Amino acid sequence: MSTINDIILKGRNENRDALLEHEAKEVLKKMGIQIPPSILAQTEEEAVDAAESFGYPVVMKLMSSEVLHKTDEKAVMIDLNSAEDVRSVYQDFENRFKHVNVAGVLVEKMVDKGLELIIGTNTDDDFGPVILFGVGGVLVEAIKDVVFRMCPTTEEQALNAISEIKASVILDGFRGLPVINRNELAKLIVNISKLAWEYKDDILEMDINPVIANSAGLHPVDARIILK
Amino acid sequence: MLRVMTARLKSYFNAESFCVVGASTTPNKPGNVVAYNFVNYFPGKTYLVNPRGGELFGKPLYKSVLEIKDQIDAACIIVPAKYAPMTLEQCGQKGIRNVIVTTGGFSEAGEEGLELQKQMLEIMKKYQINVVGPNCLGLYSPALGYDTMFLPASKLKRPTSGPVSIFTQSGAFGAAFIDQLSRLGSGKWVSKFVSYGNASDINETDALEYVGKDPDTRMILIYLEDFKDGRRFMEKAREISLTKPIMGIKANRTETGAKAGASHTAALSSDDEIVDDLLDDAGVIRVITWDQLEDCVLAFGTQPLPLGDRVAIVTDGGGAGVMASDMVSDCKLSLAEFSPESQKKMDEIFPSFYATGNPIDITGSATAEDYRIALEAAYNDPNVDSVVNICIPVIPDLDIHKYIEITKEIAKRKEKPFVTSLVGGEEADFAAAELLKEDIPVFTSPGRAVRALGMLTDYTKYLKSRGVDPRKVMVEEGK
Repeated sequence: MSTINDIILKGRNENRDALLEHEAKEVLKKMGIQIPPSILAQTEEEAVDAAESFGYPVVMKLMSSEVLHKTDEKAVMIDLNSAEDVRSVYQDFENRFKHVNVAGVLVEKMVDKGLELIIGTNTDDDFGPVILFGVGGVLVEAIKDVVFRMCPTTEEQALNAISEIKASVILDGFRGLPVINRNELAKLIVNISKLAWEYKDDILEMDINPVIANSAGLHPVDARIILK
Repeated sequence: MLRVMTARLKSYFNAESFCVVGASTTPNKPGNVVAYNFVNYFPGKTYLVNPRGGELFGKPLYKSVLEIKDQIDAACIIVPAKYAPMTLEQCGQKGIRNVIVTTGGFSEAGEEGLELQKQMLEIMKKYQINVVGPNCLGLYSPALGYDTMFLPASKLKRPTSGPVSIFTQSGAFGAAFIDQLSRLGSGKWVSKFVSYGNASDINETDALEYVGKDPDTRMILIYLEDFKDGRRFMEKAREISLTKPIMGIKANRTETGAKAGASHTAALSSDDEIVDDLLDDAGVIRVITWDQLEDCVLAFGTQPLPLGDRVAIVTDGGGAGVMASDMVSDCKLSLAEFSPESQKKMDEIFPSFYATGNPIDITGSATAEDYRIALEAAYNDPNVDSVVNICIPVIPDLDIHKYIEITKEIAKRKEKPFVTSLVGGEEADFAAAELLKEDIPVFTSPGRAVRALGMLTDYTKYLKSRGVDPRKVMVEEGK
């Protein structure tokens, strides 16, 4: 069992300035944060076994420090519904990324649609680690509906932050959207702020985007940790 | 430098002996003004130093601090920057631990000045001296007779003792604001004033820590351009804002945008948005413009906090009422719905063409007595948390003297916030001046009056969200 420090050290030893997604998620897991079930497959058979064990649909993502913009490079395939789908994606990845150093293919249980939120952290010159919460997804930088707190944050501060975003009203079951458990969300924010604070010497920035919020709960489906 | 647990500014203000180093015999020179201030107002012992010797204001001029035999608790250095390190060194040798350096020409003034400030830092470390400044007005407390503001009283008028403590990064801002407060209402406003300039040692967070603990400080007003100790500032502010309101300006809002980073979070991290959110979270009421600061002093310095957000508006002009109502919603306040009793009373007494909803519009036919009825109905109504009293005194039947008396009577009850806006020319100015003399808050526009209530109510909301009863925070009682 590797610790958070081990995972960070591995990244550093490989001269990387960021953790790979599966490593970042492993770090979150160590903080007690629930993430969708996933397995880093090294072979096509492992990928199929993983998918079969989770049940369909699944998502497959190529884990490589040379492929950072996974969506742009079509290194993320979603809504795969059968062993055939998994095999064909695996083979496609093998073909297209044969000249790239790869850690494996992350096979992950696909999360049902929901509200897309972002929780992130950054290191501020004046205030040290700060945490951001807001409306997530690919439009996050355009919508800019976010709020900051200093790390580590308390549950009370996190709850206030949640109610401060302009879109706060959509968390309460707006037009058929799921009702988001604000206390659970606050706990998640607190937990991530703790991570940024405790590892402030190592972690420069963090993006958990999106955190999908649906009727089943909160699901960090992508995670990015930038090292100092 | 050692961070001692007690607020370091306390030992400055509590000094029983004070030395003015660079006391000048030329009238109105900074060293002359500060010497005058201490010789005339400081209740402790004052010593003056000038290398040329002689006498000033009936006191001997020592050639150096080292010539003084007695212990000195604090000193102000007012010498040209190039002599400052040597002077500070002598203070260190003399065992003076608390020094104010008002002189400019240090880190704010290029290479050479930066080098001088470095030398000063070395000396501070060597002798463990606390330093306020350089490049500042230093400290002022009217109640303590403590005044290092080197501008003569004929130019910079001093406000007298009151509940407000102020700290500022900019000396010029400080001077202007102090001057303004001297002519605001009774002029009884200031508890402690701290202008810390370049913050070579004592910074905004030290100032906040001190005024936070100071029992005579009932509200805190700040002017900042940047943070020297931002994290601790926010932590302290969060504690202090539960017992005293903190408000002010953090200027320099557009200096830096978000820096390019590898994450969405970094891309969204504009300095000012972070500052804005953290101030908000720490319960600091942030204002943007200078006029809002004066409004803050008038509102927080004279009024109890509202218990809720329901506002009643009384007006003799429809347009003023509409604009005030707009500001009510802009400030996230609500228009009160009157209780059946108040409603019935007004409907019985007032002619049918008066509007007795909210705003209560007693029209151009209003008399002073109508104001009494409307204001009392609104003020006594349990459904009303605060009252706006708008008057355009041009109407023929309004006796302005009676109106002033009625307004004073209600203002003195201080059961809930009560703000007045007088709009017009000579008569409006006259009435405003009469009321302000007694520290009854009057604003030049209905919007400003409502905005002042908005700031008070924001603070009430913050306290309530933190489980604090707003009735426990009493600023105006200190007056």
